Amino acid sequence: MNIERAAIRLFVICILSALLPQTAGAHGGVVEEEDLCIIKVNYLRAHFKVYQPRVSGHEQFCEDLPVASESVFVMEYQHDALRSMPIDFRIIRDVTGKGRFARMEDIEEIDDLDSVTVFYQAALTEPDVFSVVHEFVEEGDFIGIVSATQPGTSKVYAAVFPFEVGFTGIGYWPFFIAVLLLLQLHYLVMSGRLRRWMGGRSSGIVTGLSLCILTFASADRVFADDDTFLVTYTAPAGAPEINRIHSWILHVESADGVPVENAKIEVSGGMPEHDHGLPTHPRITEELGDGDYRLDGIRFHMRGYWEITVTVITEQGSSVVVIPLQL
Amino acid sequence: MSATIIRLGGVLAVAAAIVFWWQTRAVEPPAWTEAEIVVLRSLFLGSLPPLPPDPSNAVADDPRASRLGERLFLDPRLSANGGISCATCHQPVRHFTDGLAKGQAIGTSKRNTPSIVGTAYSAWLYWDGRRDSQWSQALSPLEDPNEQGTNRMHILRVIAGDEFYRQQYEALFGPLPDVEDTVRFPNVTGPGLGPDWDAAWSPMTEGDQASINAAFANVGKAIAAFERTLAPAATRFDEYVSAVANGDLQAQETLFNDDEIWGLRLFIGEAQCTQCHNGPLLTNNEFHNTGVINSPGELPDKGRAAGVREVLADPFNCLGVHSDDPLRQCAELTFVRTGPELIGAVRTPSLRNVENTAPYMHKGQVATLAEALLHYNKAPDAMIGHNEAKPLSLNTRELHQLEAFLKTLSALVDEHQFESM
Repeated sequence: MNIERAAIRLFVICILSALLPQTAGAHGGVVEEEDLCIIKVNYLRAHFKVYQPRVSGHEQFCEDLPVASESVFVMEYQHDALRSMPIDFRIIRDVTGKGRFARMEDIEEIDDLDSVTVFYQAALTEPDVFSVVHEFVEEGDFIGIVSATQPGTSKVYAAVFPFEVGFTGIGYWPFFIAVLLLLQLHYLVMSGRLRRWMGGRSSGIVTGLSLCILTFASADRVFADDDTFLVTYTAPAGAPEINRIHSWILHVESADGVPVENAKIEVSGGMPEHDHGLPTHPRITEELGDGDYRLDGIRFHMRGYWEITVTVITEQGSSVVVIPLQL
Repeated sequence: MSATIIRLGGVLAVAAAIVFWWQTRAVEPPAWTEAEIVVLRSLFLGSLPPLPPDPSNAVADDPRASRLGERLFLDPRLSANGGISCATCHQPVRHFTDGLAKGQAIGTSKRNTPSIVGTAYSAWLYWDGRRDSQWSQALSPLEDPNEQGTNRMHILRVIAGDEFYRQQYEALFGPLPDVEDTVRFPNVTGPGLGPDWDAAWSPMTEGDQASINAAFANVGKAIAAFERTLAPAATRFDEYVSAVANGDLQAQETLFNDDEIWGLRLFIGEAQCTQCHNGPLLTNNEFHNTGVINSPGELPDKGRAAGVREVLADPFNCLGVHSDDPLRQCAELTFVRTGPELIGAVRTPSLRNVENTAPYMHKGQVATLAEALLHYNKAPDAMIGHNEAKPLSLNTRELHQLEAFLKTLSALVDEHQFESM
């Protein structure tokens, strides 16, 4: 492996690992990400969706909301017991300092819940579907608390879901900067200027690494994993976009970091909360070498929580990796 | 060089003109097939069957009851502020609607004011079908705090205090309860809902309560006898179908232009409108969720899912003691459909006079016909429940043609039909 390839390889791996938090990680690392669009009130489940009808019409959101506006929260019961249970619904400003990790215990520690409450719907039995409407007047971090009371007992089941109103993240600028830097590096390497400038092999690797570190020092390395393989994915055009067919690059490594080549890879996916799959049937169209595979024909038709299941089949056997994805 | 450019420009201009002509050229619609004529006839006003009997209302077809009902319909004394009648929202000149998103009376009504014309043919009244007869429906706005805001005792006092009303009432239904005795029948101002009413009502004897309820039901039955007479009038569309059925090509050409004919073809075909808007009233009077967005600041309307519970619990329903039918023939109520598929479903409105009854949908969410057509063309996911409609993918021209057709469904209003508008 020559110097140019080594430098580029380092940089590509660096980008692959850095892009992931730009997409899946944009949500902030909630541990129970899989439950985003399902609200679990103890063992009782309901589909959960939020609308901002005045600004986004019929578009559904899972919990984070793009702007401060009229927001309609809807719970469609999966469990019939909820039809006869009085349910109350509260939204508070997030004063727990726990962010995504706020739990019921953190809510219980708040001395004056009413003073931080922005919306409260007193307990109500809704036999068909539960919905509340609240107009957010400011952006920020909030926590929703849903409590359902078992009739005839004082047993209260609760669900807590932190969410954000208004996009406060840094966006995709780091990605575009990375692409520009990569192109520039590619030019320097290919034209031989980099080698002349550096004048040695070892410093090439160091430069590649330091460029990588400089650009992505703050990025977490997030990937879906399995005992046997690590699968890292990147959507080349940034975050997966809604209703646009596009491609991903999957990078497959063994547990000890060796790229997995000549694997047969099957990809499926869907929204577990909505009981439906992907609107397309994406396939691997090209093996790019060094454990990289081109995945074509992927499209998402709805915002919310998706799971992409990647099955890696090699001579040693097969292994399944589930990539959680919040759009 | 410049000559070449001019020549090239000329060629491009001609090409553009050809494309423009091709896209906008008038295509003559094909003749209607036998099968299509059968469909057209099914939508024709001449196919409207006679009024179905209402055995729950013994005076339904009594002209005296209809005359009394008309006077009551137009009388603003039947309200808490003396200024609101049924006709405040159901305005005869507006095909018994009001041109507003939601009815404005004492307060703001929950939903858009639907027309009354042809409702005698519907098993269900209101957008959510929470009443099952015209007479039980007529009672409800009288006691709704946002509508007429009064109560049954007040209504009976107005009737007792008006010589014409009293005489007509007693001729039809027998003696009125002695509501002038304010000890037996306490005077309550305000709507027949809430603590004041309950405090006055509960000490009354069961017999007195029953006689008041029966007399109140009779008021509804008289109003319904009037409402039954509100039949739709023939429109240009009906004349066209008549011309098609008679094979009168000349009349067909005078009555409908090509856009209207293409619009009608879409209406009964590709646009799938007749799935719900069928029959001579252009409604199946059934409940459908079509994914209409919520009214600003309000929860998505639960529609029929809540309405069906209400009609089953209504003491004035077909199975209740105030029905005049000794056999209690209440097939609709007995076999009523319930279940989660009714979440967000509302009753299909008639499309007769649709051009003149804007705004549209159950909360008046949609201002224009063009906007309503765009909604059905897109068929977005419902906020609650499931949108039964599927996207249509009609182009702009087709939407325009559909709209042109819908405007042929307007009938003239006979302004002299009602005595005091």
